[in-house]
This record gives sequence, structure tokens and C-alpha cells, in this order.
Amino acid sequence: MEQINRKSTPLLASILKRKKEKADLDSGASQNISTRVAAYVLLGLGSFTMLIPFLWMVSTSLKSPAEAVAMPPVWIPQVFRIENFIEAFEVAPFGRYFLNSVLITALSTLGELLTTILAAFAFAKLKFYGKNLLFTILIATMMVPGELLIIPNYLTISNMGLINTYAAMIIPYVASVFSVFMLKQNFESIPNELYYAAKVDGSNDFRFLWTILVPLSKSAIVAVAILKIIGSWNAFMWPLIVTNETALRPLPVGLLAFTTEAGTHYQLLMAASAIVIAPMILIYLFLQRYIIMGVAKSGLKG
Amino acid sequence: MMEKPTLKSSLKSLFYIAPMLLIVGTFNLYPIVQSFLMSLYQDYNIFTGEVGGYGFSNFVEILQDPKFILAIRNTFIFVLGVVPISIVISLTIAVLLTKIEALSSFFRSIYFLPFVTSTVAISIVWSWIYHSRFGLLNYGLGLLGVAPIEFLEDPDYAMLALVIMAVWKGLGFNIILFLVGLNNIDANYYSAAKIDGAKGFQRFTNITVPLLGPTIFLVSVMGVINSFKVFDEVFALFQSRPGPAGSAMTVVYYIFQKFYQENQYAVAAAAGIVLFLIILVVTLIQMGFNKKFVHY
Amino acid sequence: MQVRFNDVTMAYGDKAVLQNINFTIPEGKLVSILGPSGCGKSTTLMLISGLTFPSNGQIYFGDKEVTKQDAVKRKVGMVFQNYALYPHLSVLENIMFPLKMEKVPKKQRRERAMELATLVQIEDHVDKKPKQLSGGQQQRVAIARALAKEPSILLMDEPLSNLDARLRIEMREEIHRIQQETGVTTVFVTHDQEEALSISDEVMVLNEGAIQQNSDPITLYRKPKNRFVAQFLGTPVINTIDTVAHPEVLDRLALPENTKRTVTMIGLRAEDLVTTTNQNEALFEGTVSHVARVGKDVTVHIKNQYQEVVATDLGVIPQEETDIYLTAQMKDIHLFDQNGETVEFEAVALA
Repeated sequence: MEQINRKSTPLLASILKRKKEKADLDSGASQNISTRVAAYVLLGLGSFTMLIPFLWMVSTSLKSPAEAVAMPPVWIPQVFRIENFIEAFEVAPFGRYFLNSVLITALSTLGELLTTILAAFAFAKLKFYGKNLLFTILIATMMVPGELLIIPNYLTISNMGLINTYAAMIIPYVASVFSVFMLKQNFESIPNELYYAAKVDGSNDFRFLWTILVPLSKSAIVAVAILKIIGSWNAFMWPLIVTNETALRPLPVGLLAFTTEAGTHYQLLMAASAIVIAPMILIYLFLQRYIIMGVAKSGLKG
Repeated sequence: MMEKPTLKSSLKSLFYIAPMLLIVGTFNLYPIVQSFLMSLYQDYNIFTGEVGGYGFSNFVEILQDPKFILAIRNTFIFVLGVVPISIVISLTIAVLLTKIEALSSFFRSIYFLPFVTSTVAISIVWSWIYHSRFGLLNYGLGLLGVAPIEFLEDPDYAMLALVIMAVWKGLGFNIILFLVGLNNIDANYYSAAKIDGAKGFQRFTNITVPLLGPTIFLVSVMGVINSFKVFDEVFALFQSRPGPAGSAMTVVYYIFQKFYQENQYAVAAAAGIVLFLIILVVTLIQMGFNKKFVHY
Repeated sequence: MQVRFNDVTMAYGDKAVLQNINFTIPEGKLVSILGPSGCGKSTTLMLISGLTFPSNGQIYFGDKEVTKQDAVKRKVGMVFQNYALYPHLSVLENIMFPLKMEKVPKKQRRERAMELATLVQIEDHVDKKPKQLSGGQQQRVAIARALAKEPSILLMDEPLSNLDARLRIEMREEIHRIQQETGVTTVFVTHDQEEALSISDEVMVLNEGAIQQNSDPITLYRKPKNRFVAQFLGTPVINTIDTVAHPEVLDRLALPENTKRTVTMIGLRAEDLVTTTNQNEALFEGTVSHVARVGKDVTVHIKNQYQEVVATDLGVIPQEETDIYLTAQMKDIHLFDQNGETVEFEAVALA
């Protein structure tokens, strides 16, 4: 873990902490304190505003029905009603939804990592006919909005007889051009000398990939994986289209269905929303650096 | 690698790329072609899959459909509302973040938080904030002496509600890209500008903005592409409707409705092609603009 | 304008980069700050520019204290090591930039910028972007930009270090010419002694955050104040002989006894060494180990069991493997005490 952190430092350091030099020169010790105070005040107010929806969600999720609709609004409920969460789980099968989401997210992430790592290796280190053409075609597909593909994909899945299955929600997502692109860049940054050295030492390509390339690219792979997890967990439209059985719903689809069931019970609705949001926030808090690195890299490459 | 590809190396490579290719081919490449074909289907029977013929009638139909025109209009309003506002705010925040030492990464984390949250879940939270009677926003406006606004029920405010939420959700992503861009500007330019007598804001307009050109371009292109595809937000914010009286109908919502609710696959495909062409044209315009103003 | 530092200290955390520096840069002169990397010379320049501020002490421009004044207000011109030309602006726009900041009317801006472009001989390239220019041309643009607002002081931070050897000499002359033509007080930071000695009116030698010597180039070379300056200046490096280990050398010098007691080392420049046949005059005796000829220059290496010395102006070039005696005139001998400070002396008749 320590090693990954150090590896990811140069890019991160440049994003997370500005170079000392720049601090000295542009916001330097000299610069009047009022500028800096103003910056703190603006950023503080701004980030509080950013947090309001989250705070409001948590606050409402712990309220009694009367407190939820009280005017003026109550920020801190008299009693923290954890029961709202239990009730939400009882009113709708959120436990089931949760497991569905975990299953779908885990399998599509693992699947994507597998196909992506293999493909990125071939594009980065192997020679084959039509490599550049194929890669260009793949990159071009990234320009096409995914929404365009939904109709033919629905028909494909339906022809395969997979409507209303987990497979329908997983299989189309076990590969991603974007991830291949990201990992290819990373694999290319690892010197070919290592590859030759491994070959001389009698290692074959497959073993080289898994024992050398993958460990060396750990932080990029983790970044790709986390972005995938977030995307997969929050996916909505596709699961909505390919499932109509309650038992198969992932969380966002289940949550939306719950809005009709919960009606005006906002404390339950907010509790349910918190259940959907919380796992990703936890992942974010622990693995923030990878997410930000992934986003920064995707930005750097366009 | 130094050596040229051989049959053997190509076969070996095929083994590595085959799984990815199979999936991407089936679910990314084939549907692109298929979408174009479907958009030309006429008298398409969704049950038997029989196609009566090919032609442009689907395009004629949607372009004559006031709902589609509204969807295009709303989508443009959304894009033109979200992208510039988001760029201005996120650039401001990114610059402010570079001005402070302590808490900088703490603030950054908070601004980025919405990025990881489920659009559906957070839209539901926002619909609660927007609630006409018990909503936090109307309470706040009330304190300022503004009469309650029916954000989600009044067609005049539906798009505004959507834009505010989308800006809020997208800020963090843009901030990160701007921070990367700001960091790539050599500190020497700021020293030179100071020596040349440029004050704080002059440095921002004369150095930061022009040198951030490529990043601003990138952020705007990504923002435009993403905003054109707005759907989840609408669906969740307005309880599975395209806004009050259809006032927040967007192009993707229209596609969804034609396809999923009305089973008009060919029409939906045609709408998808129109969306694709719009995004393509807008992106090309942006690229042309970029070439003209951001080269050095 | 005259620049004066009064007891200036610059520290980053615990580490003092400059320690109680005092100096005056006279108006209208070209002054070099010379020293090895990390000696604090760039920091000194930054302090003059107002891009950084001293931890302690005062800085004066003329009679006016500017210690707390920001770079924006100090109105100095500066040429950066990597030129820092604005990549998005054309050459002319770069030169006009400081004038634009001063809100000079557009027409005047253009005229003034064209004048400067002509002064630095870049007038044929004014519409190009910096990227399209060679290093030397970028350098010229940077100088023009620095001069645009008629600064009272022109600062140059290692301006020649990114140029190739030939161009460096050409630009050195250019800088000298431009300084002469404009008469602007110029501070030139460099680690290259040849650069400093060839163009400056005065040279300030810095080492480890302290001024070693501040004088005109000739004095600096002829009368170094200490061993550091003596060794830092001159190629090849000055020969030194430890007189504690070799006290007989002192006996052969016409020095008063009390001077002899303080001296621990003598310094002999390679070009001052002459051969002698008289062993009683010899300051160094050894065998010619190598004669190196590069073009018209001949460098002779002479070695004994303790050390090697180098001589460059021996007149008659000795054969390799011959034993010779070397000496020098009293006026050319540098004496140092145990702290490395130069010992002043008056020659006396040999006892």
C-alpha cells in the first residue's frame, strides 16, 4: 500500500498540493492577508452550500414525520430516529436491492478489469496487424453518446433471452474503451526493457503481465476500478430498461420505485437515499486520492 | 516493440484483446451501426422484427413533433445554462483553492463529493429541498422575503431547478480539471507578469485565462457532451415525469419515452441520431473556436 | 537607480539563504552577482525585484525604502533564466505587455515596442510567437520586454545559461551594448566567472549567503580578499601550497616575521609562475609530468611527491620528465591565513 501511495505521488502532489514555489510566488507571504481571508470565507461558504443537500438528507432521515415537515425547518431532530432506516428496509426490499447492487457492481468491475487489463497489455506491448486502426476505431466510439446504443442493445439482450436477469445488467458493462485507453497509457509508461528482461529470464507474456505489469500499475488499475464501481453503483437507465422484476432491481431503480411507495414520508425517502449514497461516500473518503487521480488523468487525456 | 507484427504475434494478441473486443463489438460498435439503420426503418414491427422499408420518415416525424422540438430547446437551455455557469464557478473555486494553504484539500474534497453520489438518490434529495411547502429552499427564500416558488410544479421553474442541481453536481469534476490545468502553468509567468506591473486580477485575465485555454476547452467540451445527455436528473427530480406538463422534456428523455414507453423503436433511434449529430456539430464548432483562439 | 541592502537576511524556516547582507549597487552600472549554485545569488535578485521579501533588514532604491513593496509596484525590469515569454502573445505583444499594464495608449505602446525591438534587433520577428524563435532571439525579446517600461533597474537571472557557447558570447556583448546605450542600472546574476568578469563594472562574489568580495573585475582577480574568491576566479584554478606542511617555502619569501607567522597557505596563479635555476628562490620544485597543448595555449603540469601545480606562461616550455624550480614575483603571490582570509603584506629584503 505504501508503495502505491508513493508511486502515485508525483501527479497527485501536483494536484493536491501546489508546488511550494508557486505558493511563494503567486499567493506569496507578501500578498495581503485580506485576499487570503476572503478566499477562506468564500471557500467556506461555498463548501457549506455544497454540503447542504447531504446535511439535509441526513437530518431529515433521522426525524419524526412531524419534524420532517415542520416550518421553520428543524436541523437537529429531538430524538435521532434510527427506526426510519429500519422502516425503509421493511417497507421496500432495500436489503435485496443492496445485495443486487453489490453483486452487479462487483461482477462488472471484476469483468471489466480482466478484459481491460488483457486488452491494454496487447495494445501497449504487443505487435499485431491493424493495431492502430483498431485502436482509432475504439477511441472514436467514445464520442458516441451511450444513450444512442440503448435501443439496439436492448434488442440484443432480448434476443439473447436475458431480459430480467443479472446478466443483462452485467455483460454489456464488462468492457470499457475508456478504461482500456487509461491502462494502455499506463502500461506504455513502463519501460520495454522490463519486458525484454522478463523474456530473457524465460517469463512468458501472460506471466509478465500479471506478475510485473499489473503490480507496477496498481494505482492506475485501482483508479479505473473505483471509477467503474461508482459508475456501476449509480447506473440507472439501463437497469431500469432491462428489468421489471422487483427482486432484480439495483438500488437506484429500487429507490425510484420507492418514491411512489413512500409518498410523502420524506424521512423514509431520505433514509433510503442515504442508504444508496453512503457506500460510495465511504469509498470516496478512503480512496479519494485514486478517484481524483483517475479524474485528473481522464481530463489530461481528454 | 522493435519487431514487426507477424501472424504469430497477431494471433497471440488476439487472445488478449478477444474478450474486450467481443463485448465492445456487441454492445458498442454493432449498436452504433444498428442505430443508424434503425433510424431509417419504416413500418417496423417490434414483435416480428420485420422492416417495411427504409427512408427518412422517422426524422420527418420527430422534427414535426412539438415535443421533440421542445426537448431540443430544453436540452439547449440546459447546456447553455449549466456549462458556462459551472465553468465560471468551478474556475473561481479552483483559483481560490490555489490561494490558500491549510484546508485546501479539505475544501476540495467537499466540492468533489457530489460526483460520487447516485444521481437518482441525490435528485430525490433535491426534490425534497425544492418542495414547494416544506422545502428548505423556499424556506430560505422566505427569509429573504420571496414568496414560495413551486420549483417542481411550475413549468417556468422546472428547467431552473434542473440547472441548479446539475451545476451543483458537476462542480467538483471541473474543479479537479482546472486544478490540474492551473498547476501546469509555469510559475515564472506569474513572476514575469508581476514584474511587468500586472495586478492580481490583471494576472488572472492576462495570464491565467489564456494559458488555461486548453483546459477551459476540455472542460467545456466534456460539459457540453454530458449535459446533452441529461436524463437521470429529470426522471428522478420530477418523479418519473419529464417535468410539470412535460416542461422539462429533454432529448434523451424523449428517446426513452419513444422507446420504452411507446415502443416506437425506429423513431427513438432517429431521435438518438439527431442527438449524436447535434453533439458532433457542437463539438466541431468548439474545436474550430479552440483552434482560432487557443493556439500558441 | 542606486540599490542598497542594509543588513538583509533571508531565511526559509531554519535555513538562512542570505545572512546580514550589506551592499550598494551604484547607479548606471552593470553589476554582476557571481557565485556557485545555492550561494544565494538568485535570492538576492528576487529580493531586489520584490518577488520575495527579506526576513530581516531593509532594501532601498535611491533614498526610498522599498522593503515591503510588491514587485508590481517596484517597476524593475527582469530577464528570467528561461525568459518566461508569454507563449500566447506575439513578440510585439510581449514587449508591449508592461506598457499595457501601465495603460499606455495603444499607439504609443506600439511605437515604444517597435523602438525596443529595433534596439535588441528583433524587429523582423515582431509578429511571431515566442515558440517560433531561437533561444538567442527569445533572449532579445525578454530584454526588450524588461526595458519596455523604462525601468530604473534591470535584473537578469542567469540570462545566458540556456544558450550555446558561441551565442552566449554574442549575447554577452549585446547585453553590454544595450546597457551602455540605455544606461540602466543592471544587476546580472551568473555562476560563470568569465561572463561576470567580461561585462561588469563591478562584481559581487557570494558564497554561502555571505558577500565574499565586491569590487571591479580587475581588483577581484588581482587582489582577492580571501581564498574562496581566489580559487573561484581564474582558470585553471589558482595553485595553493600549504606552508604549514612546507615551512621552507615561507623562508624563501621576503616577508616580515609577523606576517610569516599568520600565513598558512600561499596562492600562485598559473600564469604568474616562472621557472628559475636558483633553488633558494623556488616556491615549488617538481618534475614536469605533462605538457598539454590546446591551440596556442600550453599548460604545464608539474608534480612532486605532495601535489601538482599548473603553469600556463612559462616562456620556455620544459620537456616532460625534467625537474624544474618554480617561483613568482612577490607582487603576484597571494597569502592566506588560517581562516582563508588574505594577508596583506609589504615585502622586505631577504634576510
